[in-house]
Amino acid sequence: MSLLRMERRASDNPYLHKDFHAALSTALDYLRLTYGETAVRDFLHQFARAWYQPLREKFRQHGLPALREHYARIFSLEGGEVTFLESTNELQIVCKRNPAVLYLRERGTPISPLFHETVATVGQTLCDETDWKSELLSWDPETGAYRQRFFRKPA
Amino acid sequence: MISCTEFIPAYNELFRYLDQRGGTNAVQGFWEFLSDRFLTNLRDLVATHGLKGCWLYWSRTLNEEAADFVMELDEEAGIFRIEMRRCPSKRRLLESTHLQPYPHYCRHCDVLYRRVLEPLGYSYEFDDSKTDQAVCTLTVRRKTPPA
Repeated sequence: MSLLRMERRASDNPYLHKDFHAALSTALDYLRLTYGETAVRDFLHQFARAWYQPLREKFRQHGLPALREHYARIFSLEGGEVTFLESTNELQIVCKRNPAVLYLRERGTPISPLFHETVATVGQTLCDETDWKSELLSWDPETGAYRQRFFRKPA
Repeated sequence: MISCTEFIPAYNELFRYLDQRGGTNAVQGFWEFLSDRFLTNLRDLVATHGLKGCWLYWSRTLNEEAADFVMELDEEAGIFRIEMRRCPSKRRLLESTHLQPYPHYCRHCDVLYRRVLEPLGYSYEFDDSKTDQAVCTLTVRRKTPPA
């Protein structure tokens, strides 16, 4: 019989716990099964308004570069693969390697059929009260590869 | 994409959303569902390795979450203990200038793990008296001696 002890400071490790993707997928499924599909979108909208409030403010002030900077950072952090296609009035995010979905597939976690709303609803919410719109152009449920567009609302 | 580094704010907002819809019972219902569906890895580890399964489970999760903690396993005494000196989840919520922490946020740690461990023959004690400082302790005791 052994006595084991482990002591860690927060600074000893980077903060990257990919199981949280599985917890999020499970949570979306719970909402869908218990309250219906609208609840998934309502929750993601509420979350995005609260959590991305500083990003939304930056987006309002600086436009598309604020979004590009945000998405470049999180994809880099998680080892994803993304390309940005930019013009003055449009940003397309082309995700070729989605680290969230790939992790879920690797772990064998069921993926919520509404997992794409983590892209679509969040994108739309970022555009709340701005001159911009967002749409999810494509989503591959198998790999999570997607193409999303942020563009200026037609006058 | 929502990054896994943004999950804690999402979790917090989910609790708030569920509470708005159905009060604390709705939040409790989700925690039970999550425990049953998501914590299968903890359940499998403890079923296979006994109390050491707790050590194996939290060795990975707490390091990946960059927690500030002391964790001890005394297999002979049948005790596993985590002293959380700074919970990375609660700390993020407390430090946020624009998020409102769900008042019962830390209770999920009581419900989720208790639901896994008690049916496997362990007692589970969660001291949440200092969670306003992102501090807590979790103690798991074997109820019966090993065969």
